[in-house]
Amino acid sequence: MATSSDQVERLLALVPYLQSHPRAEVSLTAKAFGVTPRQLLADLHVLWFCGLPGGLPDDLIEIDMDAVESDGTITLSNAPYLARPMRFTPGEAVSLVVALRAMKEVVTGPLADAVDSALAKLSSAAAATPGPEVGVQVNSGAADVREALTAAIDAGERVRLDYAPASRTEPDEPLVDPSVIVLVDGFAYLQGWALARKAWRTYRLDRIHAVERAGQRVDDHGAPPAFDAAWLDARPNVVTATLDVTSDAAWIAEYYPVVRSLAIRGGQRVTLKVADLEWLQALLLRLGPGIKRVHPPELGVPAARAATSALRLYGASPRG
Amino acid sequence: MSARKSERVLNLAICLLMTKRYLTREQIRETIEGYHGLTDGAFERTFERDKDDLRSMGVPIETGSNDAFFDDELGYRIRRADFELPPVDFSRGEITALGLASKLWEQASLAEQAVSAVAKLRAAGFELDAVPLAGLALSVGAREPAFETVWNAALTRTRVTFDYRGLRRVVEPWHLTYRNGAWYLQGLDASRDAPRVFKLARFESTPELDGKPGAYQVPDGVDPGMVMRWIDPAGPDAEASLAIRGGRAPELRRRGYPSPSAPGVPPGFEAWVVPYSTGGDFVGEIARFADDVLVLGPDDLRTALIRHLEAVAR
Repeated sequence: MATSSDQVERLLALVPYLQSHPRAEVSLTAKAFGVTPRQLLADLHVLWFCGLPGGLPDDLIEIDMDAVESDGTITLSNAPYLARPMRFTPGEAVSLVVALRAMKEVVTGPLADAVDSALAKLSSAAAATPGPEVGVQVNSGAADVREALTAAIDAGERVRLDYAPASRTEPDEPLVDPSVIVLVDGFAYLQGWALARKAWRTYRLDRIHAVERAGQRVDDHGAPPAFDAAWLDARPNVVTATLDVTSDAAWIAEYYPVVRSLAIRGGQRVTLKVADLEWLQALLLRLGPGIKRVHPPELGVPAARAATSALRLYGASPRG
Repeated sequence: MSARKSERVLNLAICLLMTKRYLTREQIRETIEGYHGLTDGAFERTFERDKDDLRSMGVPIETGSNDAFFDDELGYRIRRADFELPPVDFSRGEITALGLASKLWEQASLAEQAVSAVAKLRAAGFELDAVPLAGLALSVGAREPAFETVWNAALTRTRVTFDYRGLRRVVEPWHLTYRNGAWYLQGLDASRDAPRVFKLARFESTPELDGKPGAYQVPDGVDPGMVMRWIDPAGPDAEASLAIRGGRAPELRRRGYPSPSAPGVPPGFEAWVVPYSTGGDFVGEIARFADDVLVLGPDDLRTALIRHLEAVAR
């Protein structure tokens, strides 16, 4: 939203920016401030009328408008009183602090050290009234796993993972060409090419217990698919399941990528995309009486069979 | 009109920044061209609005008088030391970290805040390259519809009101916590006069700001650990005796230890002792492994699991 306040706030940063970047390019400057070149030109036209009180030509900020029009560069002068930007507002400082704290839980090595020292220095640049304390905790597994994966990605080396899969039939020591460490919705994942499946897979870092270098270079598989909320949609064989859950099990709507969730009597009707039927089976087994109805019903059959087979175990074993 | 206003507000900021003495309203009115030609009433309204605008951007406008002994008229000024980014020296590595951090936010208004913070760093002469690091794709989000209002309430120390678990709440926000992708608010539930933790995804109404900013103080020594204790059930307080099919359920085995002498272990299974929390969902956790895990004891866990499995088998 382009309000006058947004513009003044930007101008207070633009004036020192242009003084510390002589002959700044219009397009680069616009990009640095997240506005269009057209908006930036409008900003310059406002600055043209600003300066020290008095209104004499010498009092005003000078901008070489000819240079702006002829070669797309900005030269601003006669504003020594706005040589430095404003302090961070509490909101700006906290937005960076939260992002840095999230990074700190994922990155390793020199970058992790830089994150720490940036956090320490940031507090001195913040506004006089500090923002609220914001705690950040992401699920990113063990530090040694992250370090080993980062090193393997940097070196382009194949790894063997000791992995606890979400479903029971996946191999638990997959051979993987690691590509990217992704943090999304508070969980960190490794995105890599699974050699056994000849496909891109994601592995939750907290389920990786150890990383072993396989002593081979990774192959070129191109860029992995974008990993975001729409990621499941891009995978083949995705089915849509609708689960009626009790309020005790309604948390699944907050945990998994849900297409739709609406309140029904005594609980929630949750529609989700399922790429892996084994995963759905594990979810249904886990939720047990929390599930009131599965639609389409055949999606519930494997879990029911597995439960029956487990119950048989109790029929056969003597009570301890 | 908006350009005229920007011009007037920026000139006001520069004027207040350049003065050592407090300037009275009348002096300001004479000095700033944008206030010329306004009636008394229009000037008062416009000046009040401009001043509020600058303050909402974080510009620290001081109010005071030049003479402490006379009942002088109040005036205004901006102290440079409060206004300017203090000298701060970020290393190249730190600048890289800040540049990456500024791109983490998926939530639009926080992303904007991060961009404007980074614009200030650029204005201070730091070169931030927009080169993403290979091998990293990080994001922080806030999908909860309640987030923006709660964030602003915490930032400005404004009370916020919303429905939660069937009750109307008036809350003084103290801390926010982002944990495993979900946002939590810790604060004083003024309707109960007790500290509480609320999960933003469980708000039952759209939160609304209630009253003025700066309405309360966050008490010293608030325990941020309260959020974690509230979210995470207590640690293990019981031990289960399980028979686990050979090589299966590695998560359970990692948490426990083998107990070779346990009776009642079917062929192909091994006995393990696994600690668990009775307040948690251990039954659901074991049920996930279906016929790879058999509960040998205690009896109440075994009975609970059988009931749980019967519900799935139906």
